[in-house]
Formats: sequence, structure tokens, C-alpha cells
Amino acid sequence: MGTTVTHAPAMEGLSQDSEPRHGPVKPARPAALKRRRRRENLAGYLFMSPWIAGFLLLTAGPMVASLYFAFTDYNLFDAPKWIGFDNFSEMFGDPRWRHSVQVTLWYVVVGTPLKLLAALGVALLLAQKRRGQAFYRAAFYAPSLIGASVSVAIVWKAIFSDDAIVDRTQKIFGIDVGGWTGDPDMIIYSLVALTVWQFGAPMVIFLAGLKQVPRELYEAAEVDGAGKLRRFWNITLPMISPVLFFNVLLETIHSFQIFSSAYIVGGGAGGNACGPADGSMVYTCYLYVQGFENSRMGLASAMAWMLLVAVALVTAVLFWSQKRWVHYEEGAR
Amino acid sequence: MVNGRNVERRTILKAAGATAATLGLAATTGCGGDGGASADGTVTIRYAWWGAEDRAQRINKTIALFEKKYPKIKVKTDFQPYLDFWKKFNTQASGGNPPDVFQNAIGFLRKYDAKNVLLDLSEQAKAGNLRLEGFRAGLEKFGEIDGRLLGVPVGSNSMALVIDKPVYTRAGVKPEMGWTWDDFDAAMRKIRDKTGRAGDSGMYGVMYLYDLYLRQNGKAFFTEDGLGFTESDLTDWWTKAKKGVEDGRYADAKKVAQIKPKSAVTGELAAGEFTWDNFTVRYTAEGKSEYALAPIPTTDGKKTGQYLGSLMLSASKRTQHPKEVAQFIDFMVHDPEVAKIMGYDRGVPATQAQYDAYKPTDEVNKAIAAYEESLVEAGVLEPITPHPNGADICESAFLRIAEELALGKRSVDEAVKQFFTESKTALGS
Repeated sequence: MGTTVTHAPAMEGLSQDSEPRHGPVKPARPAALKRRRRRENLAGYLFMSPWIAGFLLLTAGPMVASLYFAFTDYNLFDAPKWIGFDNFSEMFGDPRWRHSVQVTLWYVVVGTPLKLLAALGVALLLAQKRRGQAFYRAAFYAPSLIGASVSVAIVWKAIFSDDAIVDRTQKIFGIDVGGWTGDPDMIIYSLVALTVWQFGAPMVIFLAGLKQVPRELYEAAEVDGAGKLRRFWNITLPMISPVLFFNVLLETIHSFQIFSSAYIVGGGAGGNACGPADGSMVYTCYLYVQGFENSRMGLASAMAWMLLVAVALVTAVLFWSQKRWVHYEEGAR
Repeated sequence: MVNGRNVERRTILKAAGATAATLGLAATTGCGGDGGASADGTVTIRYAWWGAEDRAQRINKTIALFEKKYPKIKVKTDFQPYLDFWKKFNTQASGGNPPDVFQNAIGFLRKYDAKNVLLDLSEQAKAGNLRLEGFRAGLEKFGEIDGRLLGVPVGSNSMALVIDKPVYTRAGVKPEMGWTWDDFDAAMRKIRDKTGRAGDSGMYGVMYLYDLYLRQNGKAFFTEDGLGFTESDLTDWWTKAKKGVEDGRYADAKKVAQIKPKSAVTGELAAGEFTWDNFTVRYTAEGKSEYALAPIPTTDGKKTGQYLGSLMLSASKRTQHPKEVAQFIDFMVHDPEVAKIMGYDRGVPATQAQYDAYKPTDEVNKAIAAYEESLVEAGVLEPITPHPNGADICESAFLRIAEELALGKRSVDEAVKQFFTESKTALGS
């Protein structure tokens, strides 16, 4: 916004106005100006209207409704019945709910750092000039593009199920634990592997960050005799910490919301939707079960809002923590 | 100029409004009013069911036949696998847009009756659009709740023990009608010792088998509004089952979970398992061995507690075409040609006419027919116990918690407690 104000005179020349102007704009003809502005605003709103309508109908409306349902007993058929905080107290007393919280936290705490490590590692390799660089970048990014799709989850299930390629490879090394997806203790690892494999998006952001680090810093450090590790630790990491923060934030929020891959790898159609013995029952999976299998939309709404609160809290903590480890350039903040 | 344009705009708007109004009117006459009947009086009804590709092909053939006989009725179908079917149905029904006619099962009757979704078909039966005579073994009362007819059975099936015949023979075990749980237990030991294979895939979670066991002992899984057994009943059942896994009589639950969706019997982990008799078809398609049906073990050497379970056709209370829906159901359960197409896909046909029309020629279906006949001969069939509203959630909880128990994720006591907690919520008691 600030920019628009400072550059206003220059921008005028670019406007569609046919009348050529000389010198600064005089506050003449305020009525005409107002009318023109109003017309412009109207056009603006008109162009925005599909988005506004979509937002009101598909986002804001359902959110308000869901907030209301969170305090009701609602089975889709009968009118919602106001029950205050009962859904929330039921939630906390439900061992299955607590289990789903545990599984999700485990997934976030283990999966997110691993994914970011993979992204940073590959970004460091790809930041150097080498032949076929563009190809490698595309190749590593590709899984992220198709990552959210159902088909990938199905393929993943095929890879990690009993007597499939992973199981057979394990057997060559004498490890016979069966497939991962059928094992309540192992299935979550296959989900972590799936998310780590999709490191492309944070990788691209890391790459951009790495490009921004001034070369002189490395040259200076080299002159001072700093080794590779030292240069990474004392220059690269602090310099890209804003980017790192961004990635940590985004990926954490993203991890909390894992659903489709867990739902499909964990069973999807047929049997328990949340993996053997609830082994892959992440939070949203249980939410889905309560909402669509048990027809308890009120409880499911309450769960959804609980997730929102939890993610907001985690985000707040991350923002608070950034003072300690994220370095912005002097004056940039 | 400006004025002219405005006039023009207004005219356009008016025209558009008029068009919209006409369209709206057309839509009303099209969909509301006399309900989906087009100019020539043809109505379209929506028919939804669960199952897979093979059933879809058969059903499409029966529908073609129906449309030929009733040229004024068009049938639009929609199908999903079992679990997805109910999710979709639930959403549609709650939105006031359920299919006109749909496949249904006993576990869902009271649930959707309580939610005011099901049409009482007895009106249509009185009007002569749906014949209720000619059903086998009293099946015509099957979908009746409190004097209202909420579903009409299309096929019947009963619980059975599916066995890998060569394995049983190798172990020297020959199950006979009236064998007891002690006999069954001895057989499991023999199979384990002589063939090195587990005798059963684990009966922990087969709700319908546990129901039979309870019925043999004068109880039942469900009463009209709750559970018909106590925590100590379930503790006994699950303790026995757990011991069976520990000493190798029942298959390793982890392996059973691993090979899903393949069954433990065709995966050669177990010599047998309890399931519905019409599922036998699946084993033959899936496995390499020869499979047969064996009787359910008893407590007193006589009573198996068995009843005929059944798939039904139900209609939506909101349907605009109750008459046509009734005619459709009537055709599907009575027409002999339909039986020839469907075979035993949805169980043994519910009406005598259809039962007589289809005489199976392949071994599997012959075995199913013979099994059901043996049940009738032995006189073990009893009326089914009611399933209350929420029964479907109880069943999936039973299945899941039993698996957790089998996988060692829960102790018997924890599992029993968890099941009762979840059931109480589901049954609202």
C-alpha cells in the first residue's frame, strides 16, 4: 500500500485516462472524480463477486454453521439439539480420540522434520551448478505436484502392503515383518515415508532462499579458514532462517491436516478406515469416522474446531519462537 | 442513447426473467407435481445398491428386463462398495434426496426407520402393487417392524463354517450337524497338530457368530433397544478366542490383517472361518484349494441358533412414485427370469418361484443350496433377533475392537470395556 502512495504521480501516467495531464493533479472536479472512483470500485467488486460469493457460500457459511453444530447433537436427520460443551467433554474423555491425537502428534513431530531435512539436503545439492540441473529440480519436485492425489496413495499402499516390493526387499535382508500397511505399528511409517517423498515444495522454497545468500559472506569466511560445515552452520543456516521458518510453519500446519493419504493407505473402502487396530488413525480420519460413519456431525464439528485451535496454538508458539532463531537482515523487519 | 440502452437492458432482463419463469414452471411440472413423469407418462426411479462389478452386470440385465415389461418406468442405478454405499446413502437421505428404492439389510432397518427414511410398503401391498405371498420359510415378515413393512427380502443366507476341504480331510476331521463346541475345539487341535495350519481364522470379531453362540445359550446379541448380553459374557467369549490364538489353534491375527482383503482361508493361514454361506463363491474364486460348507457347532448338540439373514429392497418415504417402486420390488423378488440372472449372488432367492427357477449347476452354488436345505431339514432355523437403531455402529466397533485384541493392542478386559462404552453411545442407552 505504501508504495502506491509514494509512486502515485508516476502511476497516473499509466492509467487508462485519455486526458493527458500536466503537472500535479489538481483537486478540481471532485464530483467527477468521485463518480469515476465509484465506478471503478463497482467494477472491482463486480470482478471480485464470484470469489466473494464463493467465500460466503462455501467457506464462511459452512464455518459459521459448523461452529454452531459444534455445540449441538446433530445426526444429519433430526434438528440439531443444543448441548453446550458436551461434545468437547465427550471428546476429551474418549480414548479413541486421545489415540488419534497421539498418532497425529507423532506424525507431525517425526514426519515434518524429516521432510524438511530431505528438502534442505536436496536443495543444497541442487543449488550448485551442475549438468542437468533443471531436470533434477523438476524430477524432485514432481512428487509434490501429484502428491495429494488419491492415485499416489493407492500406489503407496500397493508398494508397502504384504508381499509387495518393500516386503520382498526386506525379506532378501532377512527381515520378515510382512507388509507395512497391514501392521498397526508400521503403517504410520509408510505415511511418514509418503510425506517425506513429497519434499519438492519446501525444496523449491529452500532453493530460492539459498540463491539469496550473498557470495561475499562465503568468500570472507573461506579467507578466515572456515570449513564447509562451519560455513553451513554459521552462514547458510542463519541466512536462510526466514525461509526455514516459513517452511516449518507451512509444513507443520500441513501435517496436522493429513487426511486423504491416511484414509486411503489405512483402508479407505472396506474394513476399518483408520488402518489395522487404528494404527494410522490420524485426527482427521477419526473426525471423518465420527461425522460420516457414525453420523455424529455435531461431535465432528467440535473436533474440527478443536483442530483449528490446536493448529493456531502451534502456529503462535512457532511465531513466538522465531525471535530466538530467525535472523532477518537489519532493517528488513 | 443512454436511455435507449437502458430500455434495451430492461427488455432483455424482462425477457430473461420470462424465460427463467417458464423454465421454472417447466421444471416444476417436470419434477414436482405429478413427480418426474414426463410428457408421455414415463417415470424414472433411482435404484441404489452395494456390491461390485459382477453384481452390477447382473443387475443391469434384470433392469433391462424390467424396463421391457414396464416401458413407462425407467430405472437409474447407482452402486458402491458396502461401506461407501452407506456413507453416500446417509448423506443423500439427510439431504432429503435418497434413492427411490435401495438395497438394505437388517442392521439398518431400525436406524433409518427412526430417521423417518423408510416407506411402509404394506400400503402398496394392500393396493396390489406388491405381492407378499410365495416367500420361502416365512421370509415375508422379514422386513417388518412394529407392523410396518419396511423391506422386502430378495435373498436369504445363513451363517456357515467355510472349510478348506483337503486340510480337514488330512487332519481326519469330519464336521457333522450337531457337533458341539468341544468337538470343534478338538478338531482345531487336530488340524493344528496334523497339518501345521491354524484351524480357524479367529472368531473374535464375527459378530454374527457370537450372536449364534449367545442364542444357543438363550441370549442374543441385540434386544430391541440394546445389547442382549453382559460384560462377563463377552469376557468369556474373547478370553477363549485369545487363548486359541496363543496356542496356535486360530491364525496369527497379524498375518490375517496383513493379507487383507484376501481371506485367511484362501491365504492358507487357516483351515476355515465363519461367514455367510453365499460368500463361498468368493473363496473359490480367490483360492487354489477346494472349499466346502460345514455346520455351525452347537452348545447342546442340537440348537445352532441359526436364522436366515437377508438382503432386502426398501423404498424411500420421500419417493414420488410409491406405486412404481412397489412394482419394481415385486418384479425383482418374484420374476423367475430375475433369479436366473442373479443366481445366488444375493443369497438364495427369497421366493419359491425364484428358488425353483434357478437350479445351480456349478459346484459352489450347488453346495450353498444343499447347505440351506440341510438347515431346513435339521429344523434349526429360528426367527432373527431384532437389530436396534445403532446396530451398524456396534458391529463395526465389535469388529475393530476384536482386531485390536487379536493384535495384542488391548487386554480382554480393556476390549470388553471399550466395546460396551462405544455401544452405549451408539445405542443411546
